[in-house]
Amino acid sequence: MNSNLLVIIAASAVFYGTPILFAALGELITERSGVLNLGVEGMMLIGAVTGVWASQHVPGTSWFVVLASIVIGATAGGLVAALHAFLVITLRTNQTVSGLAITIFAGGLGLSSYFANVWNVAAKPASHPIRVLDVAGLADTPIIGPILFHQTILTYFSWLLVVVCTIYLFHTRIGMQLRAVGESPQTADAMGINVVKYRYIHTIIGGILAGVGGVYYSLAIVPTWVDGMTKGAGWIAIALVIFGFWRPDLTLAGAYLFGAMQSLSLTLKARNVHINGDILDALPFVMTIVVLVAVSSGWAHKRIGAPAALGQPYEREER
Amino acid sequence: MFEINWGAMNQEVAVRMTGIVKRFPGVVANDGVNFEARVGEVHALLGENGAGKSTLSNVLTGLYRPDEGTTELNGVQVSLASPRDALSAGIGMVHQHFRLVPTFTVAENIVLGEKNKNLLINASEVCARVEQLSTRYGLAVDPRARVWQLSVGEQQRVEILKVLYRGAKVLILDEPTAVLTPQEADTLFATLRAMAKEGRTVIFISHKLEEVMAVSDRVTVLRGGKTVGTVETLSTSTRDLARLMVGRELVFDRVVRVGMSEPSNPVLEVSNISAYDDRGNIAVADVSFVVGRGEIVGVAGVSGNGQRELAEVLGGMRPVIAGGFEVAGIKVTAGKVRQSIKAGVAHIPEDRLHTGLAASHSVEDNLVLKSYRHKPVSKFSVIQRKIIRRHAVELIERYDVKTPDSATPVRLLSGGNVQKVLLAREFSADPRVLVAASPTRGLDVGAIEGVRKRIVEAADRGVGVLIISEDLEELLSMSDRILVMYEGRIIGDVPTVQATREAIGLLMGGIVTANTGISNAGITEPQS
Amino acid sequence: MRSPLRLERRLSQPRSLRWLVPLISIGAALVLGSILMLLTGKNPITVFQRIVESGFGSKTALRGSLIAATPLAFTGMCAAITFRVGIINIGGEGQFFVGAIGASLVGLALGGQPTAFTIFAMIVMGMLFGGAYAALVGVLKARFHTNEIITSLMLNYLAGILLNYLIFNSTSYWRDPRSIGFPAGKPLEARAWWPKFELFGVQIPLGFLIAIVLGSLVLFLYRRTRFGFEVGVIADSPQAARYAGMNTRWKIIAVVTLSGAIAGIGGASDVGDFRHILDAKGLQLAGYGYTGIVVAALARFSPLAAVGVAVVIGGLTNAGYALQGPDFQSGLVGTLQGLLLFTAVAGEVLTRYRIRLRRTTTAS
Repeated sequence: MNSNLLVIIAASAVFYGTPILFAALGELITERSGVLNLGVEGMMLIGAVTGVWASQHVPGTSWFVVLASIVIGATAGGLVAALHAFLVITLRTNQTVSGLAITIFAGGLGLSSYFANVWNVAAKPASHPIRVLDVAGLADTPIIGPILFHQTILTYFSWLLVVVCTIYLFHTRIGMQLRAVGESPQTADAMGINVVKYRYIHTIIGGILAGVGGVYYSLAIVPTWVDGMTKGAGWIAIALVIFGFWRPDLTLAGAYLFGAMQSLSLTLKARNVHINGDILDALPFVMTIVVLVAVSSGWAHKRIGAPAALGQPYEREER
Repeated sequence: MFEINWGAMNQEVAVRMTGIVKRFPGVVANDGVNFEARVGEVHALLGENGAGKSTLSNVLTGLYRPDEGTTELNGVQVSLASPRDALSAGIGMVHQHFRLVPTFTVAENIVLGEKNKNLLINASEVCARVEQLSTRYGLAVDPRARVWQLSVGEQQRVEILKVLYRGAKVLILDEPTAVLTPQEADTLFATLRAMAKEGRTVIFISHKLEEVMAVSDRVTVLRGGKTVGTVETLSTSTRDLARLMVGRELVFDRVVRVGMSEPSNPVLEVSNISAYDDRGNIAVADVSFVVGRGEIVGVAGVSGNGQRELAEVLGGMRPVIAGGFEVAGIKVTAGKVRQSIKAGVAHIPEDRLHTGLAASHSVEDNLVLKSYRHKPVSKFSVIQRKIIRRHAVELIERYDVKTPDSATPVRLLSGGNVQKVLLAREFSADPRVLVAASPTRGLDVGAIEGVRKRIVEAADRGVGVLIISEDLEELLSMSDRILVMYEGRIIGDVPTVQATREAIGLLMGGIVTANTGISNAGITEPQS
Repeated sequence: MRSPLRLERRLSQPRSLRWLVPLISIGAALVLGSILMLLTGKNPITVFQRIVESGFGSKTALRGSLIAATPLAFTGMCAAITFRVGIINIGGEGQFFVGAIGASLVGLALGGQPTAFTIFAMIVMGMLFGGAYAALVGVLKARFHTNEIITSLMLNYLAGILLNYLIFNSTSYWRDPRSIGFPAGKPLEARAWWPKFELFGVQIPLGFLIAIVLGSLVLFLYRRTRFGFEVGVIADSPQAARYAGMNTRWKIIAVVTLSGAIAGIGGASDVGDFRHILDAKGLQLAGYGYTGIVVAALARFSPLAAVGVAVVIGGLTNAGYALQGPDFQSGLVGTLQGLLLFTAVAGEVLTRYRIRLRRTTTAS
C-alpha cells in the first residue's frame, strides 16, 4: 500500500465515520443520564428519510435547504427519542425492550420505509446534497488536505461537538449534575436535581444527534433514499460508546476506525485492489464483536466509565 | 420554593409537623404523626423498624408528599414538594444509605446541586471552601479524594458536610451509628452537640435506646405509624423508653440455654483462611478459629472488615486464596456451594431477600432452593410439585410463617416472615453448622426474639453456630464467645462472660490493649 | 415539571390482567396506527378491513397466514425463551439464516433419500447450526460478560453477509450453477420437500406442527424440570442462584443455545416447507428475527403463546404481502408491528402499577 492510498483511506474514514460519531455522541449523552436507548438505528433512519424529504420539498437556496434538511431530520430523531423517553422515564418500561421497539417501529421495515413510500422520496435523488467543502483552499494540501480540509460542514460541526461535549460533561455544573443523575439518581434527587427533567432532555438530545447522523447518510454519503440505508451503523454507534468508555474523545477515535472499515471495500474496489468484498463488508461487524470482547473481559468488573445507574428506572416512592 | 428567614429566630420551635398521614399501597406508614423539634436541641426520633421514622423524615425532606397534615418551619407553614424545596428551606438529611456519588470527589459531592451562577466548575476554589468547612466542624476529610476510596466513617462525614455546606438549619440523621464503632459514635455525638449549641436543630433517628439516652435532649417515640409521646431525656430511662417503643415490658436478659456447648468437640475448624473481596482486595487475612458442638460464637466488627466475606467462604460462595475449613472433621473444598451444603453448613446471608432467597419466587419454591436437585423433590430431573407443596405446608406451619398461601412470592412477605422462610429451609436440612450474617437486622422486636430463639434451639440440638453481627448487644446476649474482626483479621477472641462493651468496642476500632488482647493465645497477631 | 400521571405499585396482580392487558395493547396499537394513517391520508377502516379479509377471510388467506406464521412461531419462541430469563438474544434473525444454510446443505446432499430421513436430517442440521451460532453469543456472555444484545445483532449482519457470499459472490455448493445471469440457490429435489397436512380444508405446514410441539416441550422444560427451576432462579436473582450452588454460566449458554436451535429449526422449515432453496435475498428482506421479538413480547414471553400470537402477526404480514402496492405501502406492516410492540411494552406497566391521575395540590 502506498501512502496515497493511506491518505484516501484516512480521508474516507473521517467521511464515513462522521455519521457514526454523531449517533455515538448522542447515545453517550443519553447514557450518561442513565438511559439506555437501543433505538439509534431507528432514529437515524427516521432522520435520514425526513432529511431527504426536506431536501426535495423545502424551497430556497441550496445552503438554506441543506440547513433545513438537517434541522428537520434532527427534529424527527428527537421526536422518536421523546417517545422512548416517555416509555422508559415516565412509564418505567424495560429500557432494552423499548429501545428494540423503537428500532422495529422506526427501522428499515417500519416507519422510515412507510414514509419513504408515502412521500415517494426514493424516486429521485436528494435535490440538495451535503457537499464536501474546500476549507480555505487547503483541500489540495498533500496528505492533510483531503483528510482535514476536504470534508462536509457536518464533519467540522462534529469536531466542535466533541469539544463541547467534553467540556459540558466534565467541566460544567450541569454536566456534573448530569453525570450524578446517571451514576446515582437517588443522590441527585436528594440534592435537589430534577432527575426526570435531566433524563428527558438528554434522551431527546441523543435522538437529535442520531437524526443528524441519519441525514448525513441520505444527503452526504448516498444522496438518495434506500430502505435500511444505515446498515447497522446505529448499532455500531451503541457499541462505540462502550469502547470509548463513555468519553467523547475516545468515541471520535472509534468512529473513525469504523468509518475506515466501512469505506474500505469501496475505496479498495475503486483502486482495483482485489479483496473479497464480503469479507470487507463483514469487517466492521467482526471488529465490533472482537473489540467488545476485549473491552468487556479485561475491565468487565470495573466497568470503566459506565454510568452506574444505566438502564435502571428511577422511582422515588419506593419502599 | 420557600426561603425561611432563619435569621429572625424569634421562634422556639424549628419544626412542627401536625397530623401527618402517609399511605403506601397496603400500609399506612404515618397515621397522624405529630412531631415538634426546638431550635438548638438534639431531638431523637425513636421507634422500631417499621414504626414510621423514615417515612416521617422523608416527608420532612420533601422526598414524600404527605397525604394529610401540615409542616411548619420556624413558624411558617410550608409545602415541601421536593428535596430541592427542603434544602432551600434549610433542611438537610444524612441518609442511612449514603446519598453520595462514589466516582465523584468529596468536593464534587458536596457542591452537587448547588445553585451557582458560574457555569464552569473551579475545582481548586471549591476544594478550598470545603476544607474551610471541614476544619470548622472538625470533620476531617480530603476534598480531592474519590468517595469510593473513603471509609464508611469518612463517607458519613462527607454527608454531614454536604448538608452543612448547603446551610442547613435542621439536620436529620437516619440511624447514623449503624456503621460506626462505639468510639466513632461518641465522636459523632460530640459533633452533633456542638452543632446544636450553634443554634441548629438536630433530629436523630434511632432504634437504639442507649445512644438516644446518650445524645438527645428530648425524645419522640413512634409506634405503628403513630406518635406515642415526647419526653425529656433527663426525666426518662431506657426501660421507660423501651416500654413506649414496644408497648410492653422488654427484658434484655441473657438467653437461657438447655443444651451444653462443647468447645472441645469442634464441628467447624477454620484454618488460615485468606480471601479476596469483590474488588480483588484482601478481605479475609489468615483467619483461624474453631466452633464447638452446640457452641454459639459471635463475630463482632464494624461492617466491611471481612465478616461478610468470611461467611461467604464458609457458605461456599467465595473461593479462598489460602487455607481451608473442616466440618465435623471432614475437609470441605472451598468455593463450592454444593460441597458446603453437603457438609452440613447452613448459611443465612446478610442480603436475605436477594441472596438467601429468590424474591419473586414463591414460598414453596424457596423452601426447596437447596434440595430441588435430589429425590424426593425432583425425580429424573422432573420437579415434583405435589411434594414441594406438602413440604411447604408443613414448614409454614412448624415455623409459623405468615403468608396467604405457599404460592405467594416471598418479596410480598414482611421482613420477619422472610427470615422465617430462610430459617425453615436452612434448619430443615438438619445442618451441623449455622453461619448467620446479621440475622436480626431490620426486624421488629417480636421477630428478633423469634429468630434468636430458633438459633438458640438449634445450638441446644448440637449445631455449631457462628453469628456475625454489628449489634454488640445481640452478641453479648447470645454467644458463648466473641471474635472481633478488624481489617480482615481476628484480633480478639473473648469469652462473653469476660467481655465488656468498651473492650470489644476498642477492638472493633483496631485497638488492642493489654487486657483485651487475645485471650485464647496463639490465634493471630494484631496488625500493627 | 411534575408529570400528571402517577404510578402506584401493585401489591398483587389480578388474574384478569393476563388477557386484559394484551387486548388493551392491541386496541391502543390500532388507534395509534389509525392516527398515523389518517395523517398520511389513508382511510384506516378500509385498510384494517382489507387486512382482516386478506389475512383471515378465506381458506386461501388462512393458508397464506399460516405460511407466514410458521417462521414467526420459531423466531418468536427463540426470543421468548431468552427474554423471559433476562437474556436479550436478538440474534434470532441470524440463527434462522444459519439454520437454513445447514438444513439446505443436507437437504441438497440427501435429496434422493427417503423423505422422512431427509426431513429428520434437515431438522437436526438446522438445530445444530442455529444452536452453534447462538452458543457463540452465550459463551461470550457467560465467559467475558460481553453484552449479548450487541454481539447477537452483529452476528445477524454477519449471517446476512454469509448468505450473500454463498449465493451471490461465490460458486458455493448452495448456488445453482445454472443461474448465471441472476444468481440463485440450488433447488431441493421434490422428494425432500416437507409434507403439508390438511385440517378443515386448510393446509397446515409441517413446520407449524413442529412449532406447536416444541412450544409445549419448552413450556414443560421451564415449568416442570430441574433445568427450568434453575434457569428461573438465575433470572430472578443471580445472587440467589449462586448461593444455592447453581452453575450460572452453563445455564446461560444452554438457554441461548436452545433458543438458537429453535430459530435454526425455523430456518430448516423455511427451506423444507416453503422456499425449497436457500433464498439469500428473500430471507434478508423478511426480517423474521425482528418480528419474532414483537411476537414474543405480545405473547408475554411464553413460548407456547408465541405460536398463537405468530398466527395473528403472520396474518398481518400475509395481508401485507397480498395488498402491497401504491395503496398499501410496504413499511405499514412493520410500523404496525412496531406500534404493537410499544403498546405491549407499555401495557406491562399496567400489570405492575396502577396508573392514577396526580391530585393537584395547591402550593401555598
